[in-house]
Amino acid sequence: MSESVQIKTETVKLTIDGREVVVPKGTLVIEAARALSIEIPFFCYHQKLKSDGNCRMCLVSIEKMPKLQVSCSLPVSEGMVVQTNTSVVADARKGVLDFLLANHPLDCPICDEGGRCPLQNYSQKYTAYGQFKEEKRIYPKDYFSPLIEKEMNRCIQCMRCVRYCDEVIDSQALSSVNRGFHVEIGHYAEKQLDCEFCGGCVQICPVGALLNRLPLYEYRPWMLTQTETTCAYCADGCSLRLESRPQTREVIEVTSFWGNETKSVWGSGRNEGDLCAKGTFGYEFVNSPHRLTKPLVRKGGRKDGPLVETSWEEALETAADGFRRIKTQHGGAAFGALASARCTNESLYVFQKFVRLILGSPNLDSSVRYGAVNAARAMTELTGTPRWLTSYEEITRADLVFVIGTDITQTNPIAGLKVKAAAKRGAKLIVATPLRRRISTLSNIVNRATRHLAHAPGAERAIAIGLVKAVLEEGRLAERVASHRSTQRLRDAVAAITPKQIERATGLPYEEIKAAAGEWASASRAVIVFGESVIRAKDGYETVRILGDLALSTGKLIADGCGLAPLMEENNEMGAYEMGVVPDRLPGVGRLDDESDRDRISRAWKEPIPAGPGLTMMEMLKAARDGKIKALYLMGENPVGSLPASAGAAEAVEATEFVVCQDLFLTETGMKADVVLPAASFAEQNGTFTNQEGHVQAVRKAFDPVQGTRPDWEILSEIALEMGYPLEYEDGAEISHEIARLWPGWRELPKRSEQEEAVARYLNEELAEGVSERYRLDRKTDHSVAPNHRFRLVLGPVLFHSGKMSLKADGLMKVMGRPFLYMAPEDAERLGVTEGRLVRLRSAYGPVQRSVDVEVKMDAKYPPGLVFFPESFNEPPVKDLLTVELAPVSGVPVFKTTEVLIEKA
Amino acid sequence: MKYEKVLHKNLETPGYAGSLADYERLGGYLAIRKALKEYAPAQLIDLVKRSGLRGRGGAGFPAGMKWDFLPKDPAITRYLCCNADESEPGTFKDRQLIERDPHQLIEGMMLAAYAIGARVGYIYIRGEFVYGAQVLQRALTEATRAGYLGKNILGSRTEIDLHLHRGAGAYICGEETALLESIEGKRGLPRTKPPFPAIHGLYGKPTVINNVETLSNLPHIVNRGVEWFISIGSSPKSPGTRIFSVSGHVNRPGNYEVPMGIPLRELIYEQAGGVRNNKRIKAVIPGGASAAFLTESSLDVKMDFEAIAQVGSMLGSGGVTVMDEDTCMVRAALNLMEFFAHETCGKCSPCREGSSWLVQIMRRIEHGHGRAEDLDQLVRICNNIGGKTVCAFGDAEIAPILSTLKHWRSEYEYHVKEKRCMAGDRGEELVGIGRH
Ligand SMILES: Cc1cc2nc3c(=O)[nH]c(=O)nc-3n(C[C@H](O)[C@H](O)[C@H](O)COP(=O)(O)O)c2cc1C
Ligand code: SF4
Ligand code: SF4
Ligand code: SF4
Ligand code: SF4
Ligand code: FES
Repeated sequence: MSESVQIKTETVKLTIDGREVVVPKGTLVIEAARALSIEIPFFCYHQKLKSDGNCRMCLVSIEKMPKLQVSCSLPVSEGMVVQTNTSVVADARKGVLDFLLANHPLDCPICDEGGRCPLQNYSQKYTAYGQFKEEKRIYPKDYFSPLIEKEMNRCIQCMRCVRYCDEVIDSQALSSVNRGFHVEIGHYAEKQLDCEFCGGCVQICPVGALLNRLPLYEYRPWMLTQTETTCAYCADGCSLRLESRPQTREVIEVTSFWGNETKSVWGSGRNEGDLCAKGTFGYEFVNSPHRLTKPLVRKGGRKDGPLVETSWEEALETAADGFRRIKTQHGGAAFGALASARCTNESLYVFQKFVRLILGSPNLDSSVRYGAVNAARAMTELTGTPRWLTSYEEITRADLVFVIGTDITQTNPIAGLKVKAAAKRGAKLIVATPLRRRISTLSNIVNRATRHLAHAPGAERAIAIGLVKAVLEEGRLAERVASHRSTQRLRDAVAAITPKQIERATGLPYEEIKAAAGEWASASRAVIVFGESVIRAKDGYETVRILGDLALSTGKLIADGCGLAPLMEENNEMGAYEMGVVPDRLPGVGRLDDESDRDRISRAWKEPIPAGPGLTMMEMLKAARDGKIKALYLMGENPVGSLPASAGAAEAVEATEFVVCQDLFLTETGMKADVVLPAASFAEQNGTFTNQEGHVQAVRKAFDPVQGTRPDWEILSEIALEMGYPLEYEDGAEISHEIARLWPGWRELPKRSEQEEAVARYLNEELAEGVSERYRLDRKTDHSVAPNHRFRLVLGPVLFHSGKMSLKADGLMKVMGRPFLYMAPEDAERLGVTEGRLVRLRSAYGPVQRSVDVEVKMDAKYPPGLVFFPESFNEPPVKDLLTVELAPVSGVPVFKTTEVLIEKA
Repeated sequence: MKYEKVLHKNLETPGYAGSLADYERLGGYLAIRKALKEYAPAQLIDLVKRSGLRGRGGAGFPAGMKWDFLPKDPAITRYLCCNADESEPGTFKDRQLIERDPHQLIEGMMLAAYAIGARVGYIYIRGEFVYGAQVLQRALTEATRAGYLGKNILGSRTEIDLHLHRGAGAYICGEETALLESIEGKRGLPRTKPPFPAIHGLYGKPTVINNVETLSNLPHIVNRGVEWFISIGSSPKSPGTRIFSVSGHVNRPGNYEVPMGIPLRELIYEQAGGVRNNKRIKAVIPGGASAAFLTESSLDVKMDFEAIAQVGSMLGSGGVTVMDEDTCMVRAALNLMEFFAHETCGKCSPCREGSSWLVQIMRRIEHGHGRAEDLDQLVRICNNIGGKTVCAFGDAEIAPILSTLKHWRSEYEYHVKEKRCMAGDRGEELVGIGRH
């Protein structure tokens, strides 16, 4: 009985154009019509946005209502009778079009939207008559922004752009300005638009009023080929559409899945159609004239000879010869191999197979070593999988989100949208960060916080310890944990840490932490979102484990709606870890030191896998300097450019007898290599990326590899062949199949229920293991701000850059063409500098005695005493002021922060 | 005929300055005491419903019914807003009530707030009413000091706080949902309805918006009872008095409080002193600029909601504008169209684009550049606006053109054909005359 009652209250039956339809209560009439495939035309409506009902295109006639009603904002009601095709309705649509066309310039022949524009399409469909014979309104043309072109004369004032920027992005960079007939879209910044440049306003503008400026006037939409694929920038894993010209092998622009067509999929993909600046405007690296298109080798094969262009045949032969030589002379252990986590799963898989089987070396690692490995490893220990047991959807629906260690808009913008959506829904949002609240058109998650734990820089671990302590000591434990024998060890460990110590380390009153812990413990759908300041810190691994303890002890590790959400940086870090491109793991997160895992894979490969332990990246570089590594193979990885000079990567590469590098561009490492092989980009191959949540997503080829380049896996295959070992694949798909055979669960998401066992094991065995090391407050982690001219310099990611690729994307360079040192206005004043002035940075301690001059930008988001520099930029060499420290468990090279002296330059 | 004043009683009393002491001396704040003591909120709503009091801001919606739409759950925060944005051309009655008898309004708001359970109320006052805002602010301070406003009013444990919010000069902010947006600090743009403010109003909470005059009626209804109220005016549908702002070509322009339903002719000739220079009346706008023009033949219409609607116009805001026989109807309609084209908020396509289209055609016709097809075009555009806009502004802006075209089409045709005006002393050659 209760069931039928439920159905009755939750659905509504109505009639549209004589056809009955049953839809959920609250459905809008326009959507109910869609369910019957009845198309109601619209402009201002969008499923992502709150209805605004301004264009009046969607008017329908409803029985018993004297006036026509806007179907985009009217919810259905029981027994409603709707007509969408009467002559009155048709006249209304025609009338609206007549109004919209009245002042429209009708410059369709030169409009980039022409051909995919609903104003054109509806005009054709409803035969709107151009009756307007008065003077047209003309908005004077003004410069809007380097990436977004504004053509107000085409604007139909639907306000989708403004609403999107506010409701979804939370940037509020746009507004309508002026009134009435003179309404136009303006922005808040003084001169030109200054915002997140997510491009969403361009995508959502139904007409050609907002356009991507980069390819302006260069194409007609119907001449472009669309390829639905996955973004190659960050681990948020957005689906996007490459609009390309296959003939010239160029990406012309990127659109999202909801853009312009009125019948579009309303935002598919993990990103639900939203993108960030890198996704929308960062595609140009694919077309870059700086792409490598010819293999390079050392002239005359001499180490000191210049790199010269050569044929693929010669280059492959040189590489194969070199490897063969080293292998015979020194054996497999003389090889070191590094891959970039930007490559596809397929290339990464072939890479590790190549290194393990053909080079015969256990020494392979990838860019996950820069930090992601801390999270992947700790997560695997906690739950048996590096993947999330929660999801973007759960973040959006959570009633509490705890964000720690990330300036999320900068690092993971789309994950950030999920957190913002939760906050806007009314979820509690605890944000632990040294950053301050500051309103600007770059949305700042702190502004949305319901509780801001403004801790001292670097105190993430102390915060996590404080929370666990509070949870334990306030008796907020989940039953299962409270009664477990391991818990006593945890109790002892936190009891040994006094509230005073926590206060000293975090700079926060313990009461504040206790209050946050209370909120966390009482929430029923709660997720911890943590990012690079946790993961890439020296104690990153420990902090992740402690956050895991926090979730576990409050029953939120694998409960529905709850979980840990580590944010990763590069697009396929999850994939690199899972494909076993780390010395201790095998594909499918098997363990190299686990006999049965090793056997299983050896059997599948029909070859024994060299036993480990292999060297991690930093160990490899040291071994190379020590002359123990004789050959290095680098697939898209650039240690010389990525690490501070003091890490000795350059020396390591120089000391290595034979270095092969394959990449899109000639990198700092490539310049020191013996063979450089041009690789194809993500737009030119099929494969998959695995996002940070653990979704394996398709990468699809938009066009053939740019002349002279080849996909990474193909290069590996060819070298293998040349070396006499067949490692051949028809295409990316064949590799995917092999991966899936080896690891049947690869494309599936881990099920909570299946992770139960892992968590039980963790509770029984690992929770108590090493608690005393985990629950320790290192004196060195007290990064509180120093007096006088000493500042804490923090390096980190920024929204507009990722490094190698983004720096070659003209669009992104137009937004952020050079780096600044960001500092609090109070500090700038203290130093007597103004925006744009140079300051001189000097390392406050350590062996590095260099100084670097850098331009200042004031941003009140940064607290006094903390200065921030975007890590993607190697020039000026701020990074080289840092010494690399090695994280104890994971061997992660840590170079996030140091103390510097700053003076006016 | 002389009628008993109700809302104007205090302010027409010699020496009355509108201070708290003045107001109390003439029986002020007795109604709220009585209501707190004698009526539960639901009873007060019922009382107002039975009185038949209708909104004086424009639409004439029954006040008690509006209040009754609010959700009954007392746990939901709700708000009261007083619409004091009075910007309708030809309407100036609220201003006088605010400036001369602010406590009458405050007491009215207290009654409304008590009835609907609102702890916070806002008075949204037109930005240009600088003096009015000062008077109100002073009165609010007085009332708070005297314990009429605040946490525990008159020891009743009822909390009512009233805040003054000044507008910034846009006519559209008088539209109730634009008013809410404006109070929320956003651009004052009307919202698409549904949802209606009674469910989703200020800050998303149930909200009642009433006009100054509507609210000022409340103390009297409570003090003197429903029977008394119904005995005035055109009961049962249009009870009570109405303040008409009479302007235009009359001898004594001004605000006149009279029982609803007196004939228009009486209002013009007896109250407002008749037409200047004894000219004949050509047209009357009976309810503010948004109301359709009436001709001389409608002068015997009763000034109540139903009768005015029957002759094709509306009582609206009570602004009565009289035009004598020399007035050019094209120019009059253009004048109002200029106002509307300037004040459209621009949110919805029909009104934004239509208003400028209409005004351009009207200017051409007035200035001697009319075309034969213009008149049909005007009607067509008006019909594409009417009933299709976000707010009632769309219906308002077409009323002057449609009604003048209906009654005085020949004047339009004369303009188009002869390139000049046929009306009285404005028959000069029009070609080449610039914009007004
Ligand atoms: C364009 C427009 C302007 C309006 N301006 C006013 C105004 O200035 N004052 C007013 O009381 N009502 C105005 N209204 C009417 C209000 O929307 C609303 O109906 C009224 O305030 C409700 O109060 P009442 O029921 O007491 O009349 C306006 C309506 C429209 C469509
Ligand atoms: S942030 Fe910038 S690009 Fe994104 S919607 Fe707002 S204005 Fe457009
Ligand atoms: S710019 Fe585009 S999205 Fe924005 S209001 Fe104009 S037409 Fe709509
Ligand atoms: S960089 Fe990350 S957030 Fe931006 S579009 Fe790509 S995957 Fe999405
Ligand atoms: S009808 Fe006019 S005033 Fe009302 S919302 Fe539409 S554009 Fe604005
Ligand atoms: S789509 Fe409904 S009003 Fe614009």
